[in-house]
Amino acid sequence: MFSRRDFIKQGLLPVFAGSAVPSVFANGVAAAAADAPNATPSDRILVLLQLAGGNDGLNTVIPFQDGAYHDARPTLRQDQGVLRLNAQLGLHPNLKGLKASFDAGQLAIVQGVGYPNPNLSHFASMSVWETASVQGGIGDGWLGRYLNYLDQVGESPNHALEGVSAGSLVPPELRSKTPVTALQSLKTFRLQPVNEHGTIVGAENPLMKFYGGFKTAGPAPFGALLDTTLQEALQASHALQATDASYQPKATYPTNSPIASSLKLVAETIVSGLGVRVAHVTLGGFDNHSREKPVHDKLLLDLDLALAAFMQDLQGHGLGDRVLVMTWSEFGRRVKENGSAGTDHGTAAPMFLLGAPVQGGLYGQQPSLTDLNNGNLKFTTDFRSVYASVLQNYLKAPASELLGGNYEILPLLKA
Amino acid sequence: MDDAPVTTSPAPANRPIWQRPVSRRVVLATGATGAAAAAMAVLWKGNDLSQILNHVRDLTHGYQGALSNERVRVAHLLRRAGFGAIKTELDHYAAMGQAAATEALLNYSKTSNTTLESQLPTIDVTTGTQPTAASIQGWWLQRMVETARPLEEKMTLFWHGLLTSGLDKAGTTQMFTQNQLYRSLALGNFDALLKAVSKDPAMMVYLDTETNRNGKPNENYARELMELFTTGIGHYTEDDVRESARAFTGWTLPGAKQLRYATTSVFVARLHDAGAKTFMGKTGNFTGDDIVEMLVPLRATAVRLTTRLFSFFAYPNPDPEIVNHLADTFQKAHYNVGAVVKEIFAMDAFYSDKAYRALVKTPAELVAQTLKATGATTKGYTAAAGAMGPMGQVLFYPPNVAGWPGGTSWINSSTLLNRINFANAATVRSRTTLPTQPLAQLSDTLIDANASAATRDGLQAFAAAHPDDQAGLLFMVLATPEFQLN
Repeated sequence: MFSRRDFIKQGLLPVFAGSAVPSVFANGVAAAAADAPNATPSDRILVLLQLAGGNDGLNTVIPFQDGAYHDARPTLRQDQGVLRLNAQLGLHPNLKGLKASFDAGQLAIVQGVGYPNPNLSHFASMSVWETASVQGGIGDGWLGRYLNYLDQVGESPNHALEGVSAGSLVPPELRSKTPVTALQSLKTFRLQPVNEHGTIVGAENPLMKFYGGFKTAGPAPFGALLDTTLQEALQASHALQATDASYQPKATYPTNSPIASSLKLVAETIVSGLGVRVAHVTLGGFDNHSREKPVHDKLLLDLDLALAAFMQDLQGHGLGDRVLVMTWSEFGRRVKENGSAGTDHGTAAPMFLLGAPVQGGLYGQQPSLTDLNNGNLKFTTDFRSVYASVLQNYLKAPASELLGGNYEILPLLKA
Repeated sequence: MDDAPVTTSPAPANRPIWQRPVSRRVVLATGATGAAAAAMAVLWKGNDLSQILNHVRDLTHGYQGALSNERVRVAHLLRRAGFGAIKTELDHYAAMGQAAATEALLNYSKTSNTTLESQLPTIDVTTGTQPTAASIQGWWLQRMVETARPLEEKMTLFWHGLLTSGLDKAGTTQMFTQNQLYRSLALGNFDALLKAVSKDPAMMVYLDTETNRNGKPNENYARELMELFTTGIGHYTEDDVRESARAFTGWTLPGAKQLRYATTSVFVARLHDAGAKTFMGKTGNFTGDDIVEMLVPLRATAVRLTTRLFSFFAYPNPDPEIVNHLADTFQKAHYNVGAVVKEIFAMDAFYSDKAYRALVKTPAELVAQTLKATGATTKGYTAAAGAMGPMGQVLFYPPNVAGWPGGTSWINSSTLLNRINFANAATVRSRTTLPTQPLAQLSDTLIDANASAATRDGLQAFAAAHPDDQAGLLFMVLATPEFQLN
């Protein structure tokens, strides 16, 4: 009974014997094996957490002293238990972990984040945020452009686990010229062995040839896409199997919580030293046009508990200084609640930046609840200013170049 | 497993552009047919690719002329109008010929589906209990695999991906009921379908119309009706959203405490906003049906829907000539969807080189055709439906109201491994019951006997090395890059 891991550890890689392995693949595996266990301490990791559907910012960072808030939210207002940040603002009662991080100086809250001429379509607005362009579109995502930059300057470990997303789809923020991997489980991320009458038949080698041949023989863009993707997949799975799967969480993650599972998977990938630079997780369910309160309360509770476990886990592994979590949502909700005890699509909302690299505190300006545009908040901070601050001061990348413009750098992060 | 020879195009030169197989005409006009065929033969021997590309660079990819073979055209049609075929099915439709096969697929109401109906597990939505998600997913997958009316199931899947609702909000009984609605109106009139879906319980829960009432409008459905179901963004204003939301008030679900159980909706006059609304420049006491009747005739609706249909059946990003022709067809046919689908299947563009393998098999298509090839039990269907999640598609659970993004997004490192691993698991599971089929036959049924030299040689080598491994051979065919495309 042979174990592929043993072969890889001994540098035998039988799967490539005698086959014409594309150089990127061979280099990638070599690079992964060489780099992964010794990732440099200066590597910084950004975890992007998407609150999909449009998070109700006013019920997340709550202007509890503002009479206009209470008037606009007769059934949805949070009257009790608001976790005070200052005399005017408080966090939702279920965000106890985030409040503790705020008190410890590890949570930055940027208020009233949005962009000019806001689009109230989920998909148009998501596209704006994903591409960091008010035109949206299908080009590379803003973090995909960061991955391209790493590649250009030779800082990229150049393997498929540099950008990872928890789930079955690669999110548009990570669309790039470099490989990005959608992960559902590290254990199942491999080609299952083909069994013939109890004998293991090697399928990787023939499949590599099939897909390699299809790169030019198949129709564009699918021929190249399928070939590149199979290479990435096998490369990433080899890197995963070459790593000692010794990850033991240093925190108890909530069960039955998809966002906790996603963050745990990201933690496992980070702790395993696989060279992750950017990771993406999604918490969905924020589009609450009706009966919002119980759903939103639960979502924020799940978010808070999952983030608390994630941060504790990373700190326990001594990785707290290398990880920044940033939340975003395509828009906030309408100031005035609708007749269904819910809220319709709105505009500006707060963003959270969490972790040891953060310079904690409140940033920007809380938008007025009475000076509105069609019932919606007027944004006070452009979201690209937040992106620019993270790119420039945390990831040490040229923000203006990657965002195609100059945006104010906010002191959200430690030097 | 040789490439089909390029034969003379039947297309007369005076036909409009959307009925011409453009790329092949270029070949014919330049007298390059023989060169292309010869080039393909060389390619398959593995000779210098750049030389070959010089000969065929006018063409879209390496399979020119594959659809000049009628059996391949029928297989292509069965993949697009349905979920692919096994040998007996392909033989059956190929024997009818392309024209009769198309006719039979389109006029499916004449085809009895009693065999399928007798095989399906019973899903009872009247008992007050919710069937499990897995049971209705397995039920639908079994329909896709065993139906005698493939286009009926394919259109049901089309509507599920366009007029989306999902189990994240709606109950299983409601999603099951909506599925029956889409099946019953699959090729009907778009206005009738939109009017019905506006009152469909799953949709009413998913997009909140059940809470939309007089004096308390809820914009969710009104916005998505325009943004996603009809005109698309840029053809309406925020005021149109607000005003039309008022028009849709009045329809509600009985028994609010069991919201996810209601499978019928009712109109309650006192909940309807009977005041005047101004929508797209017109003012009146509009109802939801009135809004639908104003949206469906708009050119933007015709363009958007027909683009979507053509992209679903033929290839993405069709030329404006094709879209205009189909939009005209739709409007002249009084918004009948069947007329558009029939026209798409009649277009040369549908059988052009550009259309061949121009779509990624969706997880539903991949799993359904795999199960056709391996066979499955009721339990097997449920398990296989569950295996679609890691490939990126959970039936009755689209990622959001825009449905599955589709196209290249089906393929990433994770989904590709899961697609290949599913083929492995399905063939291993059925290895004792698989019929003996030589490679030539598997290749004919599953990849049109049309593969790259690398795939062809690799499959032949596998068959020679493992002569008794029917499951392994079938796996290898299902794992090819050729099979990943549709």
